[in-house]
Amino acid sequence: MSTVQIAKGGLQVRSRGPGGQKPARARRSRGVTMGALVAPSLVLIVLINAYPLVYAAIQATHDSTLISSGPYVGADNFSAALSDPAFWKAARFTLYFTLVGVFGSWAVGLGLTLLLRSGVPGRSVFRVLLLLPWVVPVVVSATSWNWLANTHDSPLPTLARVLGFGDVLFLADPTLAALTVFAFKVWVSFPFMMMTTSAALEAVDQNVYEAARMDGASSFQQFFHITLPLIARPTYISWVLMTIFCVNDFPTIFLLTGGGPVDATNSLVVYAYRLVFQDFRPGYGIAVAFLMTAVLSGVAAVLFRQIRKAAR
Amino acid sequence: MNTYTHNRSYGRWLRFAVLALITAVALVPLGAVVLLALQPRAGTGETGLTLSTLSYVLTDTGATTWLGNSLLAALISTAAAVVVAAPAGYVLSRGRGKAVSGYSLALFLVQSFPVVVFVIPLFILFAKLDLADSITGLTIVYVAATMSVACWMMAAYMDSIPVSLEEAAWIDGCSLASGFLRIVLPNSLPGVLSTAIFSFLLAWNDYLVALVFLRSTDKFTLPIGLQTFFQQNSTDWGPVMSVAVLMMIPPILVFAALNKFFSVGGIGGSLAGQ
Repeated sequence: MSTVQIAKGGLQVRSRGPGGQKPARARRSRGVTMGALVAPSLVLIVLINAYPLVYAAIQATHDSTLISSGPYVGADNFSAALSDPAFWKAARFTLYFTLVGVFGSWAVGLGLTLLLRSGVPGRSVFRVLLLLPWVVPVVVSATSWNWLANTHDSPLPTLARVLGFGDVLFLADPTLAALTVFAFKVWVSFPFMMMTTSAALEAVDQNVYEAARMDGASSFQQFFHITLPLIARPTYISWVLMTIFCVNDFPTIFLLTGGGPVDATNSLVVYAYRLVFQDFRPGYGIAVAFLMTAVLSGVAAVLFRQIRKAAR
Repeated sequence: MNTYTHNRSYGRWLRFAVLALITAVALVPLGAVVLLALQPRAGTGETGLTLSTLSYVLTDTGATTWLGNSLLAALISTAAAVVVAAPAGYVLSRGRGKAVSGYSLALFLVQSFPVVVFVIPLFILFAKLDLADSITGLTIVYVAATMSVACWMMAAYMDSIPVSLEEAAWIDGCSLASGFLRIVLPNSLPGVLSTAIFSFLLAWNDYLVALVFLRSTDKFTLPIGLQTFFQQNSTDWGPVMSVAVLMMIPPILVFAALNKFFSVGGIGGSLAGQ
């Protein structure tokens, strides 16, 4: 048997699939096995993800309540959302939240990674400690931030008073509440960016810097002309992932401010949740969520295409 | 030369100080949780740091039940996610053709919808099956919610295992399935651990699904149970933060033990069509 195979050459052997069967039969049995391996996940995806999506799409075209689907209204929910000022306000806040979440946490994460890589004593300890904000459940950290900032007697307002800023209520003033939510998001997300950037920098060939130093490049020049271009691809990927995380992020905002005060920190996801579970208008809420997802998937698809084209 | 090294070590300690300061500030919210958990309860007359609030929470409130529910949901969904995603990841990694890339795209599409869209239909469906107010139902949703990322993570890791290993086994008469089970899977431990960590954290940290699904107090998971401690006007922070401490210990332990296996880079790579 083995002599025959050797005589036929390596390629022939390779085309014989698993189990040493003949190609046609092998291909079929290969397909069957592949199908069997994928089947459990497929069943889950269809039942727990695809079915609810279809159901939700039907709800979005009806003037539905939580338990019954109500009369068919076509695209009314969608057009109502597009002319709803609260929708656009939430869309604008989602945009700011995402921009700050992506670039704020990236800047902090990259800065800390560079600091950690600069030969600081005890860096492995710092590396682990700095991951904690991301590892700890958001429910816990939101509770803690609430304790820190919520009332007149909380530590941060007290600190602000002592420093002479007067009476600062972080979560009651619309602008300050938005800034607090941004700060919270950056605080939760920078460790993720630290992990991705440090993995990316790990892969960079150190000889490049040696060469650059010999040519007299300052560390500033090295950073902008070598480091950033060399980690461009993983950086773009982490931006896209973080964009998806930010747009879909419900608990961070909901647990800290609930979308308030006066809707100042209402993002689209929180708005959709409130429409469904507080105003009991699931059709409208789902329409809002669908519009958001459509834009998000479009943005993500374009960015992924860019990544595939650019960094080759 | 001497001043040069002197300056360098001076800079080193300056950077150390900056880093230490940033780390300290970043950890203030978490330190606060631990310190507050060690405060005596209001009205007990105790002073100083004490473990009595923690033991009160564990013995006299629902916290032990919630801890059990959370652990059960997180551990079972982690195990199930790995068992289901590992073979699917293998297919995504090794399979070619329209069906496979279509499945990959479907996973991406499903993942891009926010959870808010899924919860109502799922709640209605699960209510009919008597699974809505139950840990079983919650666990099923968690497994499905991790599926996309879990499959990508497994596929991304298996991409790094050379196909020639399996081909050698095939020539020896090994079937595709046993090639996966005996060759690829045992070599995928880091991928499996990475997937497991991700699934565990997702299930453990979930707030929204549990918020919608769970109605009865004895079915609560920790994030939902925690909210019951908040009072309208004056919250007693000791018990709240004791529950919070219970919630943050397992993920920290998991990460402390396994963080070197956790890689998020691979997912992005496989998404962008590595």
